[in-house]
Amino acid sequence: MRLNDCDPGFKHEVAAEPGGEGIRACFACAACSARCPVGANRPDYDPRRLIRLTLLGRRDEVLSSPLIWLCSSCYTCGEVCPQQVRFTEVLTAIKNIAAREGHAPPSAKITAELLAKQGRLLEVTDFENDKRADLGLPPVEQRPGDFQAILGLKPAEGEAGEEPR
Amino acid sequence: MAKVSLVWVATPGLIDLDPALVAKAAGMSLDQGGLLEAAVVTTSLEQAPKQLRQRLVGLPVAWLELAAEVGGGPQAHRLARAAVAVSRAAGRAAKGTLPPVYAPQPAQSVLVAGAGFGALAAAWEAAALGHPVTLATPFDDAVQAGADDDPEAVSLLAAQLPAQVELVPHSELTRLIGGAGGFNVWLSTNGDAPQTYGAVFLAPPGELAVGCEVDGLDPALCCPVSELNPEDYEGPQDGWLHVAVLAGTAEPVPSYSFSAALEAALALARRPRVQVTLLFSEARVAAPGGEKLFRDCREAGVLMARVEPGKLSLRDGGRELAWLDPLLGEELELAPAALVLAQQAVAPRPAWLDNDLLIKPWDELVPDNPRLAGGRTSRTGLYLTGALRGTAPGDARRAEAASAAAAMHEVLTGKVVPMPVVRDSFCASCLTCVRTCPHGAPRYAGEHIQCAPAACVACGACAAECPAEAIAPPGWGNPEMFSSLEWGLALAPEPKMVLFACAASGMPAVASLSAQGHEWPAGLVIYPLVCAARMSQLLLLKSLELGAKRVLVAGCHPGNCRSVTGNHKAMAKITSLSGDLAALGLPPEAMEFLPLAANQTRELAQKVAAMAQAAGEE
Amino acid sequence: MTNAQLDTPVLILGGGVAGLAAAVDLARRGVAATIIEREPRLGGRASQFCCKATEACARCGACRLGELLVQAAHLPQITIYTAALAVAAQPQGDGWRVELSPQPGGEIGPGPGRPLRERTTLNTQAVILAVGGEAFNPAGKTRFGHGRVDGVFSALELEAMLSQGALGPDGLAPAKVAFIQCVGSRDASLGRLWCSRVCCGYALRMGRVIRKLLPESQVTFFHMDVQDYGRAWEDELPELRKQMRFVRAMPGEVTAGDGRPEVTYALAGEQAIKEGFDLVVLSVGLGPPNGASALGELFGAAKDSDGFLTTDGGPAGVFVAGAAAGPRSLNESMVHGGLAASQAASRVASLTEARHG
Ligand SMILES: Cc1cc2nc3c(=O)[nH]c(=O)nc-3n(C[C@H](O)[C@H](O)[C@H](O)COP(=O)(O)OP(=O)(O)OC[C@H]3O[C@@H](n4cnc5c(N)ncnc54)[C@H](O)[C@@H]3O)c2cc1C
Ligand code: SF4
Ligand code: SF4
Ligand code: SF4
Ligand code: SF4
Ligand code: SF4
Ligand code: SF4
Repeated sequence: MRLNDCDPGFKHEVAAEPGGEGIRACFACAACSARCPVGANRPDYDPRRLIRLTLLGRRDEVLSSPLIWLCSSCYTCGEVCPQQVRFTEVLTAIKNIAAREGHAPPSAKITAELLAKQGRLLEVTDFENDKRADLGLPPVEQRPGDFQAILGLKPAEGEAGEEPR
Repeated sequence: MAKVSLVWVATPGLIDLDPALVAKAAGMSLDQGGLLEAAVVTTSLEQAPKQLRQRLVGLPVAWLELAAEVGGGPQAHRLARAAVAVSRAAGRAAKGTLPPVYAPQPAQSVLVAGAGFGALAAAWEAAALGHPVTLATPFDDAVQAGADDDPEAVSLLAAQLPAQVELVPHSELTRLIGGAGGFNVWLSTNGDAPQTYGAVFLAPPGELAVGCEVDGLDPALCCPVSELNPEDYEGPQDGWLHVAVLAGTAEPVPSYSFSAALEAALALARRPRVQVTLLFSEARVAAPGGEKLFRDCREAGVLMARVEPGKLSLRDGGRELAWLDPLLGEELELAPAALVLAQQAVAPRPAWLDNDLLIKPWDELVPDNPRLAGGRTSRTGLYLTGALRGTAPGDARRAEAASAAAAMHEVLTGKVVPMPVVRDSFCASCLTCVRTCPHGAPRYAGEHIQCAPAACVACGACAAECPAEAIAPPGWGNPEMFSSLEWGLALAPEPKMVLFACAASGMPAVASLSAQGHEWPAGLVIYPLVCAARMSQLLLLKSLELGAKRVLVAGCHPGNCRSVTGNHKAMAKITSLSGDLAALGLPPEAMEFLPLAANQTRELAQKVAAMAQAAGEE
Repeated sequence: MTNAQLDTPVLILGGGVAGLAAAVDLARRGVAATIIEREPRLGGRASQFCCKATEACARCGACRLGELLVQAAHLPQITIYTAALAVAAQPQGDGWRVELSPQPGGEIGPGPGRPLRERTTLNTQAVILAVGGEAFNPAGKTRFGHGRVDGVFSALELEAMLSQGALGPDGLAPAKVAFIQCVGSRDASLGRLWCSRVCCGYALRMGRVIRKLLPESQVTFFHMDVQDYGRAWEDELPELRKQMRFVRAMPGEVTAGDGRPEVTYALAGEQAIKEGFDLVVLSVGLGPPNGASALGELFGAAKDSDGFLTTDGGPAGVFVAGAAAGPRSLNESMVHGGLAASQAASRVASLTEARHG
């Protein structure tokens, strides 16, 4: 791979994204790789490797990689990192960039659709609310509005209220 | 005046000349291999064979590249020119004759030869201790910093220099003889006349040398770190300018160079649209602030590329770099627009150091030996500061000068070890002692052996080697040692054993064991030595003759001897005798060398116990 | 009750190699000094270190302590009190007035110095702080298992084990040994963003000693970078790479495996590995002295950004030497003691001159 063909700006781009600030501090010690539970099951998943690719500026390769969506957000990597890279959040920043550029995998899209529809991943039905009523708990409301706002499908509620009718 | 002989080295241009004729025409005698007083040698010091240089140790010598002087032409003309050149040189050699005797008291004056921070620090420290100091500098003034110095620190120190420091500009040390308390020094500003100094600090101005792979690089592409002007670098509006910093992928570079490389990388990375790739094998971050700098560089966007040593491939003068990225297991390539090269501080080793006058090759003069830390050399009274000591962190250079100066002051003012006793009537003038002494004390002065007034540390190497029992530090001659050994062994019950223990290793271990109430075998005689160098075959055999069943010499580990090779010498003597032990009806372990550190008490106790048991069973 | 009184030109706090070297260098300069050591014994850390020589001296410097102790014992200008602590200090005139308090456990030991018996007031013109640095407590890096997992030791413990002969054919004979480097160093998450300078050197040297004692053993060196530890480093490193396994990775954790510690680490392009070792050594780094803040308060000594004591910017007449001023090897600490001695000596000289002139 020719470094001249890579995008040196990518690491700065990730660092400018909320959560991505720590990426450049990584000194490649591999403590995270040793402990990542996903890596323990998927030989091709390696936090240090993803960081390396990002630092090298292999933008397309990283953003389109299915691997970045595998993180279980267990925060173990950040726990052991001597350089406070906070890889979980770095990866969230990378995923945000990827999603913006249309790289989100189908599973992520389905997740987003479910959230937009239901406000949560699992639909709340009468079954759950009856059970809750038996226990003296109030029913759960489906409030998809917040997520629709986050996903940009509709304006946020507060903003909507201020809008002239 | 000394009698000057002609030492003929037949270099190519002199093949057709008859040495005897030249000598006769110049009115001198031709060297026949015997003892000399002063000499003209027909080649340069660097060209002279090592044995010859050794033979001429401590003598006034004029080195003459005769072939160049005589040039070409008819043989008779060349002969005449040779005679003239040789007799002129003979005049120089005769004038260079040493003062006939050392002054009885150590000279207090100190010479600092060099420039830059190390030189100034040494001059300051020596002056603060009350010594008259001469600072001989190759430059106009002492403020001139070495390339590796911080100019501000240098001028600050120069401003504080006390008045008793005499500055001699444009002056270089060309020759040096003697030892602590009585060095004879030749300065280029002083012609042929030697001057006497009690101690000498060497501090040649430091230079910066490119410390990594340069073979085949196109100079047009390269810039050493010290010459970098980051302002010159800026990326194009629509892209990136790639700069590679080479910081040691071929062989290790001292860590200070790594810090300087990091600083350069950081400055470059802060320029607009400049992408810096730092190539190195080990990140040498042990210098103060090194780790923070390393992190700052990464934060600024420097790409850290670890390369297996020797695995960076450079093509097209450095326009194409390729290496295996160990993290990805992939080959990476980079076509840099510029290459920045890390540097290290070096000091040219003074040419005369390798010559006859100091006897010792550099590695023996300045061994990597923990006992000679902080700028001390194996020659008492001779110290190194500045870039000769390599790169050093923070105030370490100042610290080394301070600690060397304190040691120097003690040597010149507080000597407790008396001078070696030389019995002229026994001396065979073989110069063994001159060659052997690790501390530069004895010297041959025309008729007899003299010792520099403050150089001897009583290691006893001379006494062990002298074939004529003519020289020994007081108390360490064969007669004295034999009689105390006899006394000790006579009182010891069987099995009798001797432990010779060096003052730097064996004796401290003995002392701490004794302090802990350790019980030594009754038949063990513990004989303290200043250094294992005192062990002679005679002493080893005498111990056996006096009834010892075992002789153990506890000296320093190789590389830890203050007299550099005292331990090796003792080991060699034991090895050479071990073959003969069987003839005496003794097992090979009857004579052993135990390499020991002062803190290895357990090892010593175990060894002695095992030895006592084996001796008891015989 | 009035305190015993003492006057000394230079007070040295700490009797490790830096303090001892400062005292010896002051004596060479003709200046008397008093060493106050908190512990019952002199020597500081070096007194627990082993000799790391194999075929030749490894230049670790540990044995130079013996030389210093002998010199300190014989130089008449040096007074030594052990089991003593400075509890209060006030600037007074040109110098300092320091209250010393005896510490429990002081017995007259075999080495030089005697224990302080009573509360003492000491007047001095200069103070050298040579209290050493703190070795990182590996419990602060919980995941490496020190104190929880059998078979995990700090390098300090290994030094003591080697010098007592606890390791080798007659003692513990681990077949597999791991060194984990940079424990408590180069670590922003601990606020310790510095390299400790000494741990690569001591670990490689001790690894080599283990290989010599137990030629069948396998030694693994988990590291990031190897720092140079002396002039011979460049020559030795290739040889060391043959004797030991160099793994460029920081392990993720050390856990109790099947009767022995297991080290989890990852190599590039491979899944994380759990490997059993018989002995895991944590190469702990050097940090600022534990009592740095107390001493800072006592003498108003300045501290650098990492918390190490520094002479620069501190009050007049207070100097710092050795590992208290930053990570330093034994030899470097001794030489640094020489610098503090020079500084203290010139202060004493200028005060004396001012008084007489
Ligand atoms: C595990 C380990 C291994 C090491 N191995 C090596 C090696 O092989 N080679 C090497 O060169 N370096 C080695 N080092 C570094 C070495 O320990 C230091 O360089 C050295 O100890 C520094 O000497 P010092 O005199 O400054 O401090 P110390 O040796 O720590 O001595 C300080 C002294 O001050 C005393 N003291 C503390 N506070 C007070 C107080 N308030 N009042 C009075 N006295 C006080 C202490 O009791 C101690 O005696 C190693 C370090 C570690 C942690
Ligand atoms: S947060 Fe993600 S990358 Fe980090 S250890 Fe957990 S699964 Fe692995
Ligand atoms: S633990 Fe931190 S510094 Fe080490 S490789 Fe992972 S992210 Fe990088
Ligand atoms: S005793 Fe040692 S130092 Fe003294 S003159 Fe003899 S060899 Fe030199
Ligand atoms: S003193 Fe001994 S070693 Fe020295 S020159 Fe005379 S005989 Fe030779
Ligand atoms: S310096 Fe270290 S290795 Fe060398 S002899 Fe002394 S204690 Fe042993
Ligand atoms: S000396 Fe080596 S082990 Fe110690 S902190 Fe530095 S790099 Fe890490």
